[in-house]
Amino acid sequence: MSRVLLARLIDLAIVLFGVSIIVFLMIRLIPGDAVAIMLGANTEITPERMAELNRRVGLDRPIVEQYLIWAGSALQGDFGTSLWTGRPVAEEILIHLWPTLELTFLSLLIGAVLAVPVGCLMAQTRGGAADVVMRVTAIAGLTIPSFWLGIVMILLLSMLAPGFASLGYVPFSEDPLGNLQRMLLPSIALALPILANLSRLVRSAMLDALGQDYIRTARAKGVPERRVVYKHALRNALIPFLTSVGIMTGYLLGGAIVVEQVFAIPGLGRLILGAIAERNYPLIQATILVVTAGFVLVNFLVDMLYVVVDPRVRA
Amino acid sequence: MFFRSALRTSLSAGLMVAAMASASAQVLEIATDNGPTGLDPHLITAFPSFMVVNGNIYEGLTSVDADLKINPGLAQSWNVSSDGKTYTFKLRPGVKFHDGSDMTAEDVVSSIKRVQSKEIASPLASRLSAVESASAVDPQTVELKLKEPSAALLSSLATIAIVPSEMEANKDALQKTPVGTGPFKFQEWQPNGYILLTKNENYWEQGLPKLGGLKFNIVPETATRQVGLVNGQYALLPNIDAATALQVKGKPNVKIDETMDLAYTLIGMNVSKPPFDNPKVREALNYALNRQEIVDAALFGAGVPGGPLSPALKSWALDVKEFPCYTHDPAKAQALLKEAGVSTPVAVTLKVLPRQDIKDIAQVVQEQLNNAGFKVELVNQEQGQFIQDWRNSNFDMFASINAGQPDPDEYFYRTFRTGGSTNVFKYSDAEVDQLLDRARTLQDQSARKADYDKVQRKLACSGPVAHLTYGTLFSAMRDKLQGYEVMPNRSLSTLRDATY
Repeated sequence: MSRVLLARLIDLAIVLFGVSIIVFLMIRLIPGDAVAIMLGANTEITPERMAELNRRVGLDRPIVEQYLIWAGSALQGDFGTSLWTGRPVAEEILIHLWPTLELTFLSLLIGAVLAVPVGCLMAQTRGGAADVVMRVTAIAGLTIPSFWLGIVMILLLSMLAPGFASLGYVPFSEDPLGNLQRMLLPSIALALPILANLSRLVRSAMLDALGQDYIRTARAKGVPERRVVYKHALRNALIPFLTSVGIMTGYLLGGAIVVEQVFAIPGLGRLILGAIAERNYPLIQATILVVTAGFVLVNFLVDMLYVVVDPRVRA
Repeated sequence: MFFRSALRTSLSAGLMVAAMASASAQVLEIATDNGPTGLDPHLITAFPSFMVVNGNIYEGLTSVDADLKINPGLAQSWNVSSDGKTYTFKLRPGVKFHDGSDMTAEDVVSSIKRVQSKEIASPLASRLSAVESASAVDPQTVELKLKEPSAALLSSLATIAIVPSEMEANKDALQKTPVGTGPFKFQEWQPNGYILLTKNENYWEQGLPKLGGLKFNIVPETATRQVGLVNGQYALLPNIDAATALQVKGKPNVKIDETMDLAYTLIGMNVSKPPFDNPKVREALNYALNRQEIVDAALFGAGVPGGPLSPALKSWALDVKEFPCYTHDPAKAQALLKEAGVSTPVAVTLKVLPRQDIKDIAQVVQEQLNNAGFKVELVNQEQGQFIQDWRNSNFDMFASINAGQPDPDEYFYRTFRTGGSTNVFKYSDAEVDQLLDRARTLQDQSARKADYDKVQRKLACSGPVAHLTYGTLFSAMRDKLQGYEVMPNRSLSTLRDATY
């Protein structure tokens, strides 16, 4: 077990190192430098002032030197400071991490928890009217863009319940009720495509499992149908389900940019988007590293879960 | 343990909110599309930052009102020497910074030095280029010595925020935690979330501000801002365009205020290379444009065709009827192109600032020019790329929008003077240079006006910029909000008098 862990940690280090170099180079290849963008179009400034501003934020040094300085302090846990605000990058990421974690958790909870019974039901009623209705709904859920869904939900809610605060974000620790109120719609907007995706997956995995010989054996020896579906078949159908949930978690941890924009939630997606738009190099670099680390760790966790779910993997 | 401390925090926060609500007036919920990149008033230039700090957190020696008139600000009065080279400002007594310290002449001197300092590298430095030295005569009197008379100085000083003197050499502190003298003081900044300002209880004007504070919610999605205003979560959407204003117009409890915008849309031309090095081609472009059609098609009719100065500058701007090339005449445009000896159609690229209104305008312009002997290719660019190309004069033509200033010198000199700091067009004209050099030193208003009239006439038809339109600037708000006025320069400084 500890060997596996060690191997994974080495993997993680290699991935992070590679990503750090790629990100470092890529964001500097985009045309338009940080100083010019901060100044905007039509600001009166002399080239000497521009040079001063570049020096001020350390962008006048050779690129290799910039990387070494950055990587050196990052290794010691110091991600530097945001280009113009001087705010520590770590602090900035932490602030934006909470809304993203909460959105990820809530939307997965809604999506994944509902997907299992819905998927099972679809498999059981295969070909019937209920199955068709659910499958059509699932496809709709997959194809409706979440920004559109979000805006429609905001409009509907503001008509039905005008006093319901649905925009923006308040930390759970400050106002638990206000927090959940504001997280409700974005979580649903994010959960619907997850639900659609996962329930279709559960359906096909279940259909596969229900056709197996051991199911027939279980039924033949008189096991109740509920138990056949939820104990014998479901457990075997869970592996692809877990894989999907893992990948989705990884994506959600990167921030749901569109939904964050629509609901004005200060999550990682908007942090990255804003950082790229203003070429806030230290912030982009650190945020992408954190997101990458999250992705790798989640996948590692999923691998560990395989072992729990499926005893055959243990061997 | 964690639960208990969380509970305690939420309880105490709840109590605090309740206490604040009962003790003071309401915090005004404002929704804007973009957050500021920083709050140091000497470093920022973008609208989202300007809107937060100007007049709310910080004040200058002078101030500009909704009619763009220069009024006293932190200076109560001033004297100008007869040669126009010495300004003596008498400071308002009893003004305190948000940290409780007194605002004195020393702070004013430090603020001016801070803007001029190389280390701070303030982009506003050129606004003070005429200032040779600043000195404190006594704690309430400041003297500015100029290298040469500067007619625009008082207008420029309205944008130079006065900060505490200990900040003179400090680069970072004010970006995060501003300390000013304004009616509202900085409380909290949640990046990508909001900026919260609270009432300055020690504001020098007794009884102001009436609002309990300002909360700038950063809401990137237009539709979300609109819904938030209609359902009452937000009380003010400041400085929005016509399309957004039309969406919320007529909704219950919502009202719209409008003014003529100082900002102008433009086509910039690179005169350092063909085809726009030829003044006849530039003139042809002006004849080819139909500005009223641009207003109707791209601005929903909310705007006016405009010349080199905004019609909002009533005492300066010439009526566009005075410019012959403002009559739409494609045939004349073709004739001019023939005269210029360029082969038609003239193939040029038009780089477009990534804003919806500018993209719309660029499409109309493309159509109009293509009907008059040009062949325009539109290039839609990402913001950073556009700015870089603009700064490096890497364009044939570009379409953009620029903020305007209350004094003609603040716009003309840097834009059209040979070697001007934003003369990216590489325009150089001896007559214009001479007029601009003289007009900025004249004290007599009518003599200045005569010079700027000549400049406007010259620039309108063959200058490097085809000025297109001046839009109508809107603010949408809940009708309970009283006393706020939308300003042509997009400042929210009238909020100090507002009630909600």
